[in-house]
Amino acid sequence: MSAAMIELSAVSKSFGAAPVLRAVDLAVGKSEVVCLIGPSGSGKSTLLRCVNFLESYDSGEIRIEGRLIGYEDRPDGTRRLMRQRALREMRCEIGMVFQHFNLWPHMSALQNVAEPLRRVRGLSAPAAAERAKQVLARVGLADKAASYPGHLSGGQQQRVAIARALAMQPRLMLFDEPTSALDPELVGEVLEVMRSLASEGMTMLIVTHEMGFAAKVADRIAFLDGGRIVESGPPRQVFHESQEPRVRQFLQTYHDRNSF
Amino acid sequence: MQPQVIAHSLAYLTLAAGMTIYVSVAGIVLGMGLGFAVCLARVSGNPVLTRAGAFYVSFFRGVPVLVQLLFIYYFLAEFGIDVPAMAAAIGGLGLASGAFQAEILRGALNAVPRGQAEAATAVGFSRIDIWRRILLPQALRISVPPLINEFTLLLKASSLVSVVGIAELTRVSMNIASSTYRPLEAYAGAGLFYLAINLCLAGLGILAERRLSAGSAR
Amino acid sequence: MSFEVLWRYAPSLLSGFAVTILCWLGGSALGLAVGFAIALLYRLPFAPLRWLLRVYIEILRGTPFLVQLFLLYSGGPFIGLRLEATTAGVLGLGLYSSAYFAEAFRAGFSAVPRGQIEAATSIGMNSFDILWRIALPTMLVATLPAIVNLLIVLSKETVILSIITVPELMYQMQTMAAETFTAFNAIFAMAIFYWLLVETVSRLGYRLERRVTAYLSPEARAS
Repeated sequence: MSAAMIELSAVSKSFGAAPVLRAVDLAVGKSEVVCLIGPSGSGKSTLLRCVNFLESYDSGEIRIEGRLIGYEDRPDGTRRLMRQRALREMRCEIGMVFQHFNLWPHMSALQNVAEPLRRVRGLSAPAAAERAKQVLARVGLADKAASYPGHLSGGQQQRVAIARALAMQPRLMLFDEPTSALDPELVGEVLEVMRSLASEGMTMLIVTHEMGFAAKVADRIAFLDGGRIVESGPPRQVFHESQEPRVRQFLQTYHDRNSF
Repeated sequence: MQPQVIAHSLAYLTLAAGMTIYVSVAGIVLGMGLGFAVCLARVSGNPVLTRAGAFYVSFFRGVPVLVQLLFIYYFLAEFGIDVPAMAAAIGGLGLASGAFQAEILRGALNAVPRGQAEAATAVGFSRIDIWRRILLPQALRISVPPLINEFTLLLKASSLVSVVGIAELTRVSMNIASSTYRPLEAYAGAGLFYLAINLCLAGLGILAERRLSAGSAR
Repeated sequence: MSFEVLWRYAPSLLSGFAVTILCWLGGSALGLAVGFAIALLYRLPFAPLRWLLRVYIEILRGTPFLVQLFLLYSGGPFIGLRLEATTAGVLGLGLYSSAYFAEAFRAGFSAVPRGQIEAATSIGMNSFDILWRIALPTMLVATLPAIVNLLIVLSKETVILSIITVPELMYQMQTMAAETFTAFNAIFAMAIFYWLLVETVSRLGYRLERRVTAYLSPEARAS
């Protein structure tokens, strides 16, 4: 088995006394697109945020291309927190797109994309601006480079956010419910960008409620419930052939409204 | 400094603290009345009243309290009325506080969600009842934190009435400083008294908020 | 008050005005600098330091400005600090206002949405860049109304300096009033003067606010 891009082994986490993730195993291979679905509170977002260590995890291992993230193994077998510098190094290879975009409001779209290139990748101002322009064109917003987030629609803001993550040329990308905060008519433009990223071979781990999108674009679907992966497999298997009661119950509400 | 002097000074300061509290409370109460009246004037819809209210707020918030105090003291003297210093002090504090309290109340009224008055109107409440039962109770609750803040400010402003001779904390500490040649101790002592009063005020504020919030969602 | 009187006292009144502006600006600058430093220090994870800063802030905000001035001016010599009235005035104003500015900056920092910090963290930015490039700009905009407000309040507090004989406008006015028996007119003029000053600065502040928040969406600005 080639080293998976992302490998989670027996990852557990509790918020105080409440367990949120229970010994989760998940692997995402290179150029694979995996969608995490499930009811609210199932731990999907928490799991995603552990992958780039925005949330810590209590036990188990998360490895990015074979390298443990968040912690270092000491020679005596115990674990300690990873040093900030090493963590930052790993983080710049992971792109993340948030539900609420999280663009920096005092910077234009171009500046939002160029800022990490300058501060983290160390590019010069002209080089960063050039790359930023290219990536903004890639997501279809070349003409909005000088606009500020406050004057862009939700869909446009999210595409800028994707551009910001993409410009760093990450090895993989994490999406935390990227369309949940958007008006329905703006969802399509964002999903379209994500679909084209997938077709170009980007490794993607996506938490989403967009079942139609997941059915068409994902290589695998993982269903989370109560902090555990209850079912995992190709879309056809999870959506149409699942025997798990929780999965069928959850999907029933979607089946009633859409068909995929 | 001999213990006797300390004891005497403490006694004087304690009395002075009482005076400070007296003047402050009187100023606050006057300010409440004025603030309420001015706020009503501003939201009344009557152009004359609104203008007058706005002018009052603008003037008494824009002019420094010290100037206001001396203004009243000399203003009435100009017309031959001999004002006792106490009246000038309380009047000055009350007028100034009234302007700030009017604005606080106005802000609180604005903060009450409009939908609530609309629901009351739809059901057939009279205007007076909407005010009495819906708007005012909620506005009062919302205004507690900024009011406590305003009272703290008033307490500190009371130190200025020392210039018209009222024997409150600041004036008395000045006397102690000059008679004992120990300004550090005298003023530090006054400062501690002020801090103590402020602490009680903050405690009252927490109590008041808790009482008024019982039963509401936020 | 006759024009002749005013003309005679014009030089001292103008100098008083200059001293008022000097004390106001000097005190505000000192207060802003110290207050900002306090707000930054407060973010360090040292409990004893934060406790110390908290005590500082509470004492300066919980006692009258006048008492603080007396402490500095009259009590200073007893700890080796022999200050001139104006110096004591500026220093006093600076320390007094630093507590308020510190609280305003602190509130500004907590107004920075967490998500923006998270985006910067997830991309691999270091703490310095996150503070300087992401948190600070948003924080300063959020704090601007409070700062303008405090500046206005401080301009009014300068009259208190007259009590410790700082030769600012109020002091000069009172001298003139005493020498020419025109107390009422002088005070009246002072009242009008300050009222106009505060109104003007308030409106300018409001305009400045709108300019600085131009990049925000209309809803964000309304709040």
